[in-house]
Amino acid sequence: MRRLSPGYLAMLPMALLLLAGFAAPIVIVGVYSVMPPRTFGFSGDITAVNYVAAFTEGYWRPLMWSAIGAVLTTLICLAIAWPTAKALAHLGGRWALVISILIALPIFVSESVRLFGTSLFLMPGGGILAGSLRAWLDISVGSILNTRFAALLGLIYIHFPFVLFPLILGLSLVPKDQVEAARDLGASGWTVFREIEAPLAAPGAAIGALLCFVLSLGANAEAAILGGQTVTVATRAIEQRFTYAQDWPQGAALTMLIILITALVVFPIMRRLDFDRLIRR
Amino acid sequence: MTNGTDRPAILTLDGLSKSFGDLRAVEDISLTIPEGEFFTIVGPSGSGKSTLIRILAGLETPTGGSVRLREADITMTPANKRPTCMVFQSLALFNHMSVGDNIGFSLKMRGVPLEERRAKARELLEMVRLPDSYIDRAVTQCSGGERQRIALARALASDPEILFFDEPLSAIDYRLRKILEVEMKDLHRRTGKTFIYITHSLEEAMVMSDRIAIMREGRIIQMGAPQDIYARPASRFVAEFMGEVNIFAVAGGQVAGQSAPELEDGWLVVRPEALRPLAEGEAADISFEATIGNDYMLGSRTQFHLDAGGQTLLAELAAGAATGRVPGDVGRWGFDLADATLTRD
Repeated sequence: MRRLSPGYLAMLPMALLLLAGFAAPIVIVGVYSVMPPRTFGFSGDITAVNYVAAFTEGYWRPLMWSAIGAVLTTLICLAIAWPTAKALAHLGGRWALVISILIALPIFVSESVRLFGTSLFLMPGGGILAGSLRAWLDISVGSILNTRFAALLGLIYIHFPFVLFPLILGLSLVPKDQVEAARDLGASGWTVFREIEAPLAAPGAAIGALLCFVLSLGANAEAAILGGQTVTVATRAIEQRFTYAQDWPQGAALTMLIILITALVVFPIMRRLDFDRLIRR
Repeated sequence: MTNGTDRPAILTLDGLSKSFGDLRAVEDISLTIPEGEFFTIVGPSGSGKSTLIRILAGLETPTGGSVRLREADITMTPANKRPTCMVFQSLALFNHMSVGDNIGFSLKMRGVPLEERRAKARELLEMVRLPDSYIDRAVTQCSGGERQRIALARALASDPEILFFDEPLSAIDYRLRKILEVEMKDLHRRTGKTFIYITHSLEEAMVMSDRIAIMREGRIIQMGAPQDIYARPASRFVAEFMGEVNIFAVAGGQVAGQSAPELEDGWLVVRPEALRPLAEGEAADISFEATIGNDYMLGSRTQFHLDAGGQTLLAELAAGAATGRVPGDVGRWGFDLADATLTRD
């Protein structure tokens, strides 16, 4: 009898968990998405009507808002994280550690708690910002609460660390002597970025950007708590299908579309990344 | 080609200093390098030689003094604005680019079109004796020696006025290093450019350089042509740095327990080939009894480790004179003061 390799054995718990917690639900959702609208069982009549409805009955709007939000959040986070990572690398030592911890710390507080806090801070009239300004300085300010802009700010605030830390790892892969050699060979600050730093830090930047994109695409709380009723995102639309509307197949079809968008973005990038280099260092 | 004082100065250092906090890495260095010279700065690690060359390349700003390229003050000019180029210790090749793109990098920075860059890369591959086909190869696929040559070609591509080398051969095995040292010297002759080279190996410096400066604790302690430094080390440090030498203390007109009243206090440096075994009744200025510890064949010569009253000495004899001498032999050895150099410190 051939013995089972210890590798397979060690993988077993994780494989079972992924099978039960990830693969099986996706299969169930996939099957529901081709069931007739408003059914609660697997009746057997396969139909594409839910997917057609996703595009004809106005669901494209929440999908679009989620996609726009995810793309903008990713780009803005990258734009802020790059100079931050460079500054931290330049600073080095204890200060870099303190600042990194300060940036990472909020991750340990529940996202909803943080967003409600931000909401209290921004609340018009008696909110922390507006109220304090009025009480101390007698200045009246408006509020950005309940706007799309506030929702976007929330997305950036929540997802920034997910971009920053992989990027720091990515930038640490850029050898200092190669940057110096490039400068010595006549490269300006911008060309060093374009020719050396960007390509060499790309794996870290890509991982950060993917995390940020995927999480933002599925985010709901930012739009609900900070955006008010001004914007309905895809997750919210899906939640409504499953709850108020009692239309599981429609919700399942929207879910599958979100998974499809994610896969279309994630897989081509993952395929090009050299994770080995990032892990081996 | 010795120190080429007839040629105009290309680089002038005046009172150059660099401190990192309390550490004074480079202290008050002034020297002039004539055009086309192969100038080597030698020193042990921590002597400040790397900091010095980084200042010269524009990668570090000095805390005092100035650097002039011909007549122009370049003390504060950044590396990318200097007409100089450095070959790094790590070589710092761009691993995400092909050999051709590495070589053509400086030309790309100047906006030279691709076709011209490739033509120049081909020309330089030939100059450093690499096959033309390497132009599209990944640098990661090249061997250590090939990477050396690519780094050289990349530095030459920008047609720099001065080439700096920061110990580029230190990570290379002995045999290949010997080959590359010769190639480096040959390349210097063919290009006619000024080479400023850093190394911790005086042996390497001797092979290649027109002139050598020896650095210690941020200062230059001796400077001159290789043969002058070899013949007249200015201090015990330099003598020991040159490798296999014997050092005898001179104190109160006494050397190795014998009277030498004409000598001032200091250190007597004696090369291994100056020590010789004394036959019965043969005299030498300084002689002593020693036991042969070990013998090592060095091809045409044999090296003996001698135990002379607790001090280990090195002696080298030609193959003929060495015959019949084996470890354990006790006898008289000696040297003449004419073959020794006295240093004060």
